[in-house]
Amino acid sequence: MTVHDELPAAARTRRLEERLIAAGLASDEEIDEYLTRLYTSASPVNGARMAARAWTDPAYRDLLLSDGNAAAAELGFGGLSYALRVVPNTSTTHNVIVCTLCSCYPVSLLGPSPGWYKSFAYRSRTVREPRAVLAEFGLTLPGDVRISVWDSTSEARYMVLPVRPAGTDGLSADQLAALVTRNGLIGTALV
Amino acid sequence: MSYPVGARVRVRTGDPDHHTRMPRYVRGHTGEVVAVLGRWPLPDDRARGIDPPRVETCYAVRFSAADLWGSGDHTVTADLWESYLDRS
Amino acid sequence: MGGQTGFGPVPAGADAGPPFAADWEARVYALAAILRRRGLFNDDELRDAIERLPPQRYLAASYYERWLGALETLTAEKGVP
Repeated sequence: MTVHDELPAAARTRRLEERLIAAGLASDEEIDEYLTRLYTSASPVNGARMAARAWTDPAYRDLLLSDGNAAAAELGFGGLSYALRVVPNTSTTHNVIVCTLCSCYPVSLLGPSPGWYKSFAYRSRTVREPRAVLAEFGLTLPGDVRISVWDSTSEARYMVLPVRPAGTDGLSADQLAALVTRNGLIGTALV
Repeated sequence: MSYPVGARVRVRTGDPDHHTRMPRYVRGHTGEVVAVLGRWPLPDDRARGIDPPRVETCYAVRFSAADLWGSGDHTVTADLWESYLDRS
Repeated sequence: MGGQTGFGPVPAGADAGPPFAADWEARVYALAAILRRRGLFNDDELRDAIERLPPQRYLAASYYERWLGALETLTAEKGVP
């Protein structure tokens, strides 16, 4: 298209930054500050805490499933820029989240999304053959468990509430939260 | 026109030449409203700089894999703005 | 892209590393957020600009290369000198 296409992406990015800085639309400080905040505050530890709380507190679980934003705020994650919808796994239903149109994802509660979530393969296949996709993550579900796929096409962002693993009765909130993985909150793992 | 939970809705067909959040794979298919979401500006308008954009109710609509793909026992739920839908 | 075939296995192992494979990717992500916040464009315009990349470019580019292309498109269209 233009000579820009022949430059490596890093050089193109720097050129773009310089234009924007010259136009007063961005600064190196702002970029650094944004990324620092992203790395320190956006993490799957956040979603994990919400899941663990829902496992131990039925009222919180109800809130989480009916008003995700209020539930997030209660644990200090208020002011979400999206409508959070949390979908619960059960013994007969397993949920998995995708964004076929781009890569929408609840970044503030799960951290920046993994490469596979953004891949054409995940985006195209999860709505069509979720069982096969989950198998590629090493997750084979029993035949009587139905899969519910959620395609994040609007302002809502989805998170899975995994089933609390067996044999965890004596664990503290922190210990429970440590069991919850990012993949469990997306649905490509059981927990 | 607004749809209650449980309503059967059919996704419109057509291939707009502008940005839309109506995935191709649900166009023309019928699903069930499982949740009424918020009232949000239509991305089709916002992407084109139409100001003010139409603000519409968005619905979580569930489709069966058997209907979408002819096979599979899973469901797919997509969030769709009201003007993407007709009552079925 | 839902249901489209031919994309092969999901790169499920490709998530052990950091969220951004290179500094420029993180900076592109940050720039998009900063410019959106400044009102240069909105979310839907950004997605639209990504979708408007020529198909061969869209498919050949990496995820953040698509974002970079979209930001270049939008800064030009919005008259940034």
